[in-house]
Amino acid sequence: MTGRNLFATTNARVIGAFCVAALLHAAGTALIPGYSTPFAVRAMLVLASLLAVASIGQTLVVIMGGIDLSIPFVIGFANVVAAQLYGDGWNFFLVCGLVGVLAIIIGGLNGLISRSLDIQPLIVTLGIGMVVQGLVLLWTAGFPSGSAPQAVSSFVSIGGSAGPLPVPWLVPSLVVLTACVVLVLERTPYGRRLYALGSNPGAAPLALIDPVRMWVVTYAASAFFAAVAGVLLLGFTGSAYGDVGQPYLFQTIAAVVVGGAALVGGRGSYLGTIAGVLVLTEINTLLIGLGFQPSAVQAALGFIIVLLVSLYGRERHVSATI
Amino acid sequence: MADRALPDSGGSDFRGLAIRDLVIAPGASPITQAIAPGEIVGLAGLDGHGQELFLKMLAGLAPPLGGSIVLDLPGGGGKITGFRKAVSSGIAYLPRDRRANGIFPTQSVLDNFAVSTLSRDTRLGLISPAARRVRYDIYRKKLSIVAPRPDAPITTLSGGNQQKVLLARALALEPAILLLNDPTRGVDVATRHVLYDVFRGLAADGMGLVILSSEIEEILLLCHRVLVFRENEVAAEIAGQSLTTDSVISAMFGRAA
Amino acid sequence: MSSVTRLLPLWRRVGFAVVLLVVLLAVNLILNPARFQPGSWGALIGLAAPLIGAAIASTPVILAGRGGIDISVGPLMGFVNAFAIQVLFLGAGISSPLILVPAALLVGALVGAANGFLATVVRIQPIVATLGTYLILTGVTLTILPAPIGPAPAWLKALSGPLSILPLAAMFIGWWLVRRTPYYDQLMAVGSDDRAAYTAGVDVTRVRFIAYVMTGLLSGCAGLMLTALIGSADPNIGPTYTLIAIAAVALGGVSLAGGRGGVAGAAIGAIDIFLLQSVLTTFNVSTFVLQIAYGAILVLAVMLTALQERFATRGR
Repeated sequence: MTGRNLFATTNARVIGAFCVAALLHAAGTALIPGYSTPFAVRAMLVLASLLAVASIGQTLVVIMGGIDLSIPFVIGFANVVAAQLYGDGWNFFLVCGLVGVLAIIIGGLNGLISRSLDIQPLIVTLGIGMVVQGLVLLWTAGFPSGSAPQAVSSFVSIGGSAGPLPVPWLVPSLVVLTACVVLVLERTPYGRRLYALGSNPGAAPLALIDPVRMWVVTYAASAFFAAVAGVLLLGFTGSAYGDVGQPYLFQTIAAVVVGGAALVGGRGSYLGTIAGVLVLTEINTLLIGLGFQPSAVQAALGFIIVLLVSLYGRERHVSATI
Repeated sequence: MADRALPDSGGSDFRGLAIRDLVIAPGASPITQAIAPGEIVGLAGLDGHGQELFLKMLAGLAPPLGGSIVLDLPGGGGKITGFRKAVSSGIAYLPRDRRANGIFPTQSVLDNFAVSTLSRDTRLGLISPAARRVRYDIYRKKLSIVAPRPDAPITTLSGGNQQKVLLARALALEPAILLLNDPTRGVDVATRHVLYDVFRGLAADGMGLVILSSEIEEILLLCHRVLVFRENEVAAEIAGQSLTTDSVISAMFGRAA
Repeated sequence: MSSVTRLLPLWRRVGFAVVLLVVLLAVNLILNPARFQPGSWGALIGLAAPLIGAAIASTPVILAGRGGIDISVGPLMGFVNAFAIQVLFLGAGISSPLILVPAALLVGALVGAANGFLATVVRIQPIVATLGTYLILTGVTLTILPAPIGPAPAWLKALSGPLSILPLAAMFIGWWLVRRTPYYDQLMAVGSDDRAAYTAGVDVTRVRFIAYVMTGLLSGCAGLMLTALIGSADPNIGPTYTLIAIAAVALGGVSLAGGRGGVAGAAIGAIDIFLLQSVLTTFNVSTFVLQIAYGAILVLAVMLTALQERFATRGR
């Protein structure tokens, strides 16, 4: 496997994805006036950070060999519930705590059902996600109200600043969060078990890894970070919107895959996902800047995902697996 | 997780693994055996005659139909009721199918070695690469593992070296009893002899070994005592002078030697 | 638990999806006899036809195994819908079924071949490859057809009611013919164990590629059924079919791991979902409750199917 092509190792894939992002940025700067102005860069960083938070869970789940389609629904759930409760006069910390706990329960259920009954997580997370969204819609009668506290809005505001830094606190916070996620994946027993479980589920129990426990914990983490993204998006857009998470369904998967993770599990890294997030954000900004319609941007995005993955995400031929 | 040192060789309290009235299949007569420390016991038999099931029951991977398996150990041990209990009591198990149940192909040699004993390298919850490396080096020398880059994927190693890494993973648990399911399957001859020496050394240090092998030569070469399985029962127990190819084969086919 | 165990032999014989079908049909008949009187069955089939078509279309690639899945089925239906109406009918003035039908099937087969090329020759994970085509097709559809437009040719609209049985029948006959070829055995062999099939001399890549082409072809047909039902072109409806169709396939007992199930199960799963929607609509509940029940029953159904399989294999 190794050495067969340039992108064979995970590290090379991550570096490759970062290079693609840098090239896209250079192309944007050359083609579009104002592409690299401080405001434009800040806007891209904020958008990328939001997607990066939403993609944490998808990264963990994909490394483990699963997939989480409930992320957009949990984002919408957290977005609406946080706004509604805060609007009803609840203490915001209490609101966040409650939303976090509920998200963890939702995610834990995803993992428990999928693993203990050995059902495709695709179906389970989709079904649970639909139930969650339905419950939220029912509760708010389809018209969510409320807003985020000023603190959350300024935390993610494109015009905000973090002390001396000309970016909102979201961006440095994400850098710290990224370091934590990387540390957890690389240097904790949980992280090593996650990779092992994704790499060979059949060997995991003999290596003292409890698959059900791992799936419950990881899907719970995924839902938790989706909820965080939902609350942050509330601050970003200013008002609650149940479908705010929908673009994140495929974007999180795309970011993880462009970042070099294999959907069969055992491979990938959060740094890779960050690179994937940057690539996606650059493509989006670039194409919209070039005057493409959103529909054409979407088509181009699909094309580029296929192109990138065919460069370094190819699977082995069946004859190589015998 | 099995955080104790090996018992002193032949410690007087340690009486080994006691198997009492173990029934491995419906209608089969119960098996009573004891695996003593320092002993290498072979399991032989035609494929599917119960020797693998017996080994898996000792590892807690299959529920017995009757009887009990108790690890008698000073300051530990206990009744084997499941795989985790077996491991925490002091039993390690090396599976047969390396690719299906052994290696984690995308993971490095070091990861593959340490995966069962991750908590031993942690400092404040974080794995210390240095501690892990030190631990790995002990077994690398002991098993003469040839891995130029321990941070490269395990699939870059030869089959024999992959097997050594898996054995190192099992030994890292510091078991009192080591269960080996066809440990030299698909391993080259040179590596086999390294493994044989390792097994003998482990027994000399007081570990009890149970080896299932599909090759009679290997059993004759290694084992002090052989249990020959036929129709889910121990058809013969052969030791000492009478342990010959003929006697084992006769028992396998159900003929009187 | 004991009552569950007693029900198991029944389930094993007829399958969970069929039991659900009978129950849902009965509930529908009791709750809403007027809507379900025999005279209106034709209209009902017409309403359910695109979903059934989408479920059938999703089946071949899933049967082919190793993560085989085509999430571009829905967008492909939408693209065929937009292409047939906007480009061929309104743009080029072609209304003859002799051109429209082959054109729709050809477009489907070509997109299927592209998916197949990406998933089997380039060997990109099927879900990623078809996610790419999903995005491309959705984008292209919205580009050629930014807003809904109508009408559809009269002959096509006529296929919406009882006559929607015709394209469905064509699908089933097509699949029935496939089942009689050696290809079908190869497909199921590849789906259940591709290594063994490869060792036995089956050209795994070719078998999987053909499965993608079939899925594309059937999606093209489903796209025409969608066009017949809505009698116009709408860029936003197609993509909504993808996930429901895959859910229907799973409900119909087709293993997402490959090699088990068939289009009949997928079709029954789709009818289950349609009847379920129908029951919930009869209760006149809000669409929100509908969605909750829909998701909950989807999860419960796959859970029960998994439990049933577990008991079935343990009993052996």
